[in-house]
Amino acid sequence: MIQTLNRRASVYGALFAMIPKMFMAYQLWFWAGLVMNIISITILYFFWDAIYANSTAISGLTREQTINYILLAFFFMPLVGNDLLWEFGSNLREGLMIHHLLRPVNFQMMNYAQQLGGLVTRMVFQLPIMLLAVFLFDLKFPSDLNTWLAFLISALLGFTVMFFFSWVLACMAFYTTEIWGLGVLIEGITIFFSGSLVPLAMMPEWLRALVLSVPFAQALAVPVGLLSGITPLSDAPRIWLIQIVWIIGMWILSNLVFHFAVRKITVQGG
Amino acid sequence: MTRYIDLYWLFLIQRLKTLMEYRVSFILGAASTISLQAASIAAVWVVMQKVPSLNGWSYNEVLMVYGFVTLTKSINHMFADNLWTLGRVYIRTGGFDRFLVRPIDPLFHLLADRFCQDGVGNFIVGLALVIKTSVDLGVEWTLLKVLMFVVAVISGGFIFIALNLITAVSAFWVVDSVPVTRLVFDNHLFAQYPLTIYPRAISILLTWIIPYGFASFYPASYLLGREIGNVAWGAPFIAAFLMFIGYRFWQFGLRYYSGTGS
Amino acid sequence: MSVIEVNDLSKVFQVPKKEPGLLGAAKGLFRPRYEDKKAVNQLNFQVEAGEIVGYIGVNGAGKSTTIKMLTGILMPSGGTVRVLGRDPHKQRVDNAREIGVVFGQRTQLWWDLALIESLNLIAKIYDVPPARYKAILEQFTETLELGDLLNVPVRNMSLGQKMRSELAAALVHQPKVVYLDEPTIGLDLIVKERIRDFIKTECGSKGMTVMLTTHDLGDIEELCQRVIIIDSGHVIYDGPIETIKKRFGKFREITFETVEKAKALELPEGAEILKAEDRKVQVRFDRTVSTASKVAGAVMNQIEVKDFSLSEPDLADIVKQIYNGALDMEAK
Repeated sequence: MIQTLNRRASVYGALFAMIPKMFMAYQLWFWAGLVMNIISITILYFFWDAIYANSTAISGLTREQTINYILLAFFFMPLVGNDLLWEFGSNLREGLMIHHLLRPVNFQMMNYAQQLGGLVTRMVFQLPIMLLAVFLFDLKFPSDLNTWLAFLISALLGFTVMFFFSWVLACMAFYTTEIWGLGVLIEGITIFFSGSLVPLAMMPEWLRALVLSVPFAQALAVPVGLLSGITPLSDAPRIWLIQIVWIIGMWILSNLVFHFAVRKITVQGG
Repeated sequence: MTRYIDLYWLFLIQRLKTLMEYRVSFILGAASTISLQAASIAAVWVVMQKVPSLNGWSYNEVLMVYGFVTLTKSINHMFADNLWTLGRVYIRTGGFDRFLVRPIDPLFHLLADRFCQDGVGNFIVGLALVIKTSVDLGVEWTLLKVLMFVVAVISGGFIFIALNLITAVSAFWVVDSVPVTRLVFDNHLFAQYPLTIYPRAISILLTWIIPYGFASFYPASYLLGREIGNVAWGAPFIAAFLMFIGYRFWQFGLRYYSGTGS
Repeated sequence: MSVIEVNDLSKVFQVPKKEPGLLGAAKGLFRPRYEDKKAVNQLNFQVEAGEIVGYIGVNGAGKSTTIKMLTGILMPSGGTVRVLGRDPHKQRVDNAREIGVVFGQRTQLWWDLALIESLNLIAKIYDVPPARYKAILEQFTETLELGDLLNVPVRNMSLGQKMRSELAAALVHQPKVVYLDEPTIGLDLIVKERIRDFIKTECGSKGMTVMLTTHDLGDIEELCQRVIIIDSGHVIYDGPIETIKKRFGKFREITFETVEKAKALELPEGAEILKAEDRKVQVRFDRTVSTASKVAGAVMNQIEVKDFSLSEPDLADIVKQIYNGALDMEAK
């Protein structure tokens, strides 16, 4: 994984050094990305600020708690990333899938390492906006080491749940070329069901049950709940256990679905 | 003039025929844009079950604002989507020269070449939202309000298109104009909610500088009988002004392109 | 009045100066320095109605820049260009109505549409009256054998089919001036022949003025009576093709790969050594004076030959030689 990071870093380095115009385009994208993020959190902040205009607590959560949760959920969105669909799509389109499967490396583990590396990179790129939120919107991080530890463990577990689940979704690439449309569809579902827009506590009973019955929330709402202090640390072991059960279930499902999907191209031809 | 209308119609038919071939893509495209809307709307619904007022705006009123912005942005999405591709698909590959060699306006050609069916999903959702919320809120559709609605939608659509055009022209210089367009376009997200929830600076931004407010907040205010809504009558002037700037800037970009090649 | 009039035409580009290395790239980012690149420099020529002119030169000589100015895409930096009496840039639309363009590598047809639908769209863009369109379509269907292709989208066509479709699309509005850029590139010989035939008959019979840019000398030989050679932005030859054929068409080159190192060789009359290095000898001979077998025989008698190949002199060679004064520059 460090290798992947180094490779990425050196590739970016080479690009920066040799092609001024591409660098300029990258700069444009960097600023555009930053502005996009600023706009998003500004809207989030003022929306919730207005919601709390006449209340001190909603569903037991104070204004500070909620805003903190929402902002943290925004930053940790990379935890529910869905790159695999695009990966599978481009691999299949370019006929590379067979090559990957013939290699003596476990395809799934290789992707896991890649995605984990990608996650770390993305989180690094989230830093500027995180800092801005701390200064502009009074974002607070817990100072307690135990909370951080509980969060990190839960985040990793949750990320893994989501990885295997994404794997299942990504297998749709075997059955259709409409990757873009599917990707956007999944994005919409993910944004809501990950619990990034509304704290779970505010959802009506039935909705919360629904949200917790699908994997998305395990990767975002659950760990961020710990980090934001909404979920007490005492719940952490139980939470981890649930996440581990999810991992096992998703792992089995992902391999099953993949097995059948691969059969499709090996039997029918890509 | 009629020639251009005939021509656009022909372009449109051909494009739809092509899209019909990709039926799955067609449906998915529509469904995908709706899913993003649904996520936001669902979130707002959940929250406003607990808190019935957002800065003095009820759930249905908020939804009306949201519906307006979705509706107006869909017009840009449907008719001017090709502007995003100007740099990557046409200028970078030299395909833009083809437009310059044909006896029709190159901007027209660029826009006509791609009607984006994904926008239809947004159009339907936006329209449905505005109508439904107006019914639920008991809005009286007087002649004046109907007029406002039509004017606002058309003007709002052109405001989106104009801002899209202005930023897309940067492609003549930087080729990949997409980040420039996004820098401006993403500000429309502010206009999904009533501008009153934001500090003054932001509502000024969205009224006078990047006037997306005229595409949603002001017309909705008018329909809801709020005084600030009268400002909405300014929408067509703002739209016309922006389109004028956009077209002049386009011509400027064209002159640069034919001066320096690519 | 000539159909195409080019007078002292120039085009200067501002190209960023690229310096090597990391430091150079950094400098280029913060304080880019530009230098003038004269793509076209004081170009002069005229083309009369009905001529089919070959416009040739090596890559980077300024051909496509010239064509871009003739078609109105680029604005000249200096001099004037007139097509059918108009300034193609200032009167872009009027000029566009009367020209047809084939960009060899880039299609003007819509990727996903059936050919007939692309043609319908183009006919509408150029305002071709329906009756005339119908007649032309019938004619092209026959002469270009488009019958089966009409319902095929471009993405499913072979290169040859694409080119035939491309020509139909470019000529459907019966333009007065046609610019063909590499129309036979990548095609096999039989298809090339058909394309050339079509161009000759269609453009010839309708009195169209054609400017043909190509690297294929076969195209030039078959289609053009006149050739303009451009190098580094100006004309170095403008005259009948006969002269070029006479001077260069009679030459053939044989490249020998030898076992031993090259040494001095005695060659029959009409043959001369162009290049001799290490284990390769390049010999040029005049076909009218000697024969391939005589030359090859002579060489193989004197040195052991591993392999050899026979070729025509290529355009780059010809241009180089012309540039070095091997040909009298004949202004028309």
